[in-house]
Amino acid sequence: MKALALLLAALFLIAAILYATGHGYPSGVHTKHAIVAFVLAVLALVWFRFQSAPAGSSR
Amino acid sequence: MTFVQAMLLAVLQGVSELFPISSLGHTVLIPALLRWPVAESSESFLAFVVALHLGTALALVAFYRRTWVGIVRGLTRSVVRGRIGADRDERIGWLLVAGTVPVGILGVLFEPAVRLLFGSPLAVAWFLVANAGVMFAGEALRVRRETRIQRETLNPAPAGVRLEDLAWQRGALVGVAQALALLPGISRSGSAIVAGLLAGLDHEDAASFSFLLATPVILAASVLEVPKLFAPAVRGIGLEALAGGVLAAVTAYASVAFLTRYFRHNDLRPFGWYCLILGGVSVVLFATKVIA
Repeated sequence: MKALALLLAALFLIAAILYATGHGYPSGVHTKHAIVAFVLAVLALVWFRFQSAPAGSSR
Repeated sequence: MTFVQAMLLAVLQGVSELFPISSLGHTVLIPALLRWPVAESSESFLAFVVALHLGTALALVAFYRRTWVGIVRGLTRSVVRGRIGADRDERIGWLLVAGTVPVGILGVLFEPAVRLLFGSPLAVAWFLVANAGVMFAGEALRVRRETRIQRETLNPAPAGVRLEDLAWQRGALVGVAQALALLPGISRSGSAIVAGLLAGLDHEDAASFSFLLATPVILAASVLEVPKLFAPAVRGIGLEALAGGVLAAVTAYASVAFLTRYFRHNDLRPFGWYCLILGGVSVVLFATKVIA
């Protein structure tokens, strides 16, 4: 699950960069999409952090 | 739009954003009913609306400032520790995350599609009637649920779920319910309060959760649109935008102060009746072309 969390974080981060720069999107920059993708990347990293806590301490 | 009309719209926004009666619906309906010459797609009007939303968001932050400080500290603590503790602020903070992410995703995906409905006061009037239905149905389902629990537990006054004890998936569902407000005429706070009631919260906690959920959404949406305030076409309405933003902030603060007290002992039905009457009268006026 840790690997999945990191993979998701990387994918969302790439999506955020693509949306923010407008690269590959004919309609240009999508600021709102970029922010949502960035927030999801941060949350995936938080998920990774929660799984990295010492065994038995997570709820 | 005159200065007086702009200030009336500011008061309307400050009140209707937090009362479960749909601010977006009122922003479309009231100018149409009163035949105000509002160009709702013009740059200057959009900038004015941004100022009103910013004022509303700042009022919410000010009202819940201590709660937000606790939540931010709680979220930071839990990330540093690597687990979510039993602390109330931590739990509420993560419930807000669980509730905000779905509405953020749904908003980004579907907002452009439903924006087409914004220009039709008749559609908005129908959605306001539907909003009344949501509140009446929510209250009826809550009463039925409480009656069932009373019967099963033989407890005449069963305690509801406290906000900090709400399950994650239920917190997320309350967030998803907010997405109904993408439809102009359906209230975001009304949908969230109804979903909170169905999740087992009492009116006070459901309303507080709704107002806390509103803050990041409105604040983020307003901050993103701030550049519109500095567009060249907006220079002529600087005073209206500033005064409107302040007036919306004051009325929003008064509204949330009133509603948090109101929901200690009262329910959603009066707002349902209001939406039913305003929506119903508007449907008749627009459908019969009494008002074009």
